[in-house]
Amino acid sequence: MANFLFYLMALGAVVGSLGVVGSKNPITSILSLLGTFFCLATIYLLSGFQFLAAAQILVYGGAVMVLFLFVVMLLNLGNPDTSAAPDFIGKRRVPIAIATSICLALLTFIGVLGQGDVQAGNASLAEVDTITGLAELLFGSFLLPFEAGSILLLSAAVAVIVLAKRERSQADKPQTSDTGEAVR
Amino acid sequence: MVIVKRKELTLAERLYIPEVLRGLRITLGKMFQPKSTRQYPEEPIPSTEVTRGQPRLAENEDGTLRCVSCGMCEIACPAYAITIDGHEIDRPIEREPERFEIDFLRCILCGFCEEACPKEAIWMSDELELADTTRKGLIYGIEKLKRPASALQKRIDYVKRINDRWRTFSST
Amino acid sequence: MTVLLATFIKAVVIFGALVSAAGLATLAERKVSAWIQHRLGPNRVGPFGALQPLADGVKFIFKEEFVPEGATRWLFILAPAISAMAAMMSVAVIPFGGLVTEIDGTEIYFSIADLDIGALWVVAIGGLGIYGVILGGWASNSKYSLYGGLRASAQMISYELPLILSILAVVAMSDTLNLREIVNIQTSGTAFGFLPNWNIFYQPLAFVLFVVCTFAETNRHPFDFAECESELVGGFHTEYSSMKFALFFLGEYCAMIVMASLTVTLFLGGFSVPYWEEAPWYLGVAAFVAKTAFFMFLFLWVRWTLPRFRYDQLMNLGWKVFLPLSLLNILLTGLAVSL
Repeated sequence: MANFLFYLMALGAVVGSLGVVGSKNPITSILSLLGTFFCLATIYLLSGFQFLAAAQILVYGGAVMVLFLFVVMLLNLGNPDTSAAPDFIGKRRVPIAIATSICLALLTFIGVLGQGDVQAGNASLAEVDTITGLAELLFGSFLLPFEAGSILLLSAAVAVIVLAKRERSQADKPQTSDTGEAVR
Repeated sequence: MVIVKRKELTLAERLYIPEVLRGLRITLGKMFQPKSTRQYPEEPIPSTEVTRGQPRLAENEDGTLRCVSCGMCEIACPAYAITIDGHEIDRPIEREPERFEIDFLRCILCGFCEEACPKEAIWMSDELELADTTRKGLIYGIEKLKRPASALQKRIDYVKRINDRWRTFSST
Repeated sequence: MTVLLATFIKAVVIFGALVSAAGLATLAERKVSAWIQHRLGPNRVGPFGALQPLADGVKFIFKEEFVPEGATRWLFILAPAISAMAAMMSVAVIPFGGLVTEIDGTEIYFSIADLDIGALWVVAIGGLGIYGVILGGWASNSKYSLYGGLRASAQMISYELPLILSILAVVAMSDTLNLREIVNIQTSGTAFGFLPNWNIFYQPLAFVLFVVCTFAETNRHPFDFAECESELVGGFHTEYSSMKFALFFLGEYCAMIVMASLTVTLFLGGFSVPYWEEAPWYLGVAAFVAKTAFFMFLFLWVRWTLPRFRYDQLMNLGWKVFLPLSLLNILLTGLAVSL
């Protein structure tokens, strides 16, 4: 029963993540992502990590995805016109290389730092799920990798802004009047 | 130009919670005050002499109609709700309606028929309720329209009083 | 096996009670709004209008099912289901009563599931109900619905933070996320010598924050921007009719009941009877129902007292007042607990 559920959920997660990348409608993408998170949460639950499952649904399902939906609905994104996409990689070889190496370095950093404590972590796996155990791991033995992870996420957020920001030519910029206020 | 100065709020007012509690106390008090609902079909609205309900045909005490089917009300009716066919009879008034129909889907209860009638035969009654499941059922014939004059007396007295006042004014 | 059967029976009883309580809440809504306005309210169907919810249900079933042109059909149909399901699922961990009986050495409590993460579960699953509102609003292909959905999502994000933070204060005090244990801690002893040992007396600020946030979470007055009749027609459910509309309403009232129960569980000692620790379980259930009924009444009472906020006021209140206050409350609680 548990095995069957696991495979079902794993399949759901894979199909969901394919749907995120594959679907043209952004709303469908978000819903697929939501489905994926649900399947992952169920897998956590099956492995006995109640807190992780609840946090997954609460944070990703309850807050982050709502934010995504909000933004997509606010901008009223339709199906994007893919033919007009600029040659993205060609122009930015150097920044991409730098970003990739920083990302890899951080990941390695996290891996190396976490290495010593993996054994200790495994031993107390049963206790991890209690809030106390989780807090001790996150703010105790794994504090540095945890913070490094948050820096990684922050840089990813900055990267998204850089990538998504539309470059404006000089003519596109709003004209400013004498008082410095933007006029249309 | 009018400049409205906003009242400076006290700390208690800006905290909002005490004010909310004050509002809640008021609404809670309202809950226990007497209700103003009228339970309509059981507690009908009392009619007064000025109540202008559906028009009815007045009957004499012997059960004969006062109407002589002159057609004045038919002409006066702005909604074309009245249809009359008359015929001659042996009674002193010589004529009587053979058919007198008011279509209450058309009637707007304006009271012009009452005003137009020269024989005091049609009056606005205090009957207000009107319902049926068919359109035909709301076209009332003589049988449904006639009422003993005594049932309409309140309205008759009122209209006569008002009309008398008019006469007094116009004669002076 | 008997334990499984007991769980099944509990699930049926609690689910049935929840749905009928939601029906009752619609009647109460109409009755209380009438009383506050010097009216009598529905009183024709059954004694004192008690069968009005049934009449409403029959009416809803016989209405025309309508999907507007240009709507995303599958989402349009799915949305009310999500809304109702989320609210009904989150009730699973609420402890309605204490120990009922023992079967084969297993203690049977009056709650469907006794999760260690109960408080989180209610907020996490209950919070998913907002998807029904957002998706329903988006899928309707109507600008009013879209605005309703947008507002609901923005409001949700703004008020879920202080809501969770105020729960966190209680959790930090009780040292557990299990709702039953949170109640058990409140059952024994007294606060300040004479009051029942309820969290409301230790966490008044968290209590106020939590109650106001539940109003925002359930989209009730004065924060009902998702519906907002005066500007958005019907908000997210403008285009809905028949049973789909009824499902939205069922979900809304279930969410209100769940939030009221959560308030009672976290702050008012849940199923504990004040000053009587050894009260039998059915009295505990009665106490729970009475306390929850008060908060349900509060929902209705506030609706007819306060005017709707303006949207920027709502956002200001959420981000500039409630978030800092709840963070401050967490800080103070943390200091008090650790000292």
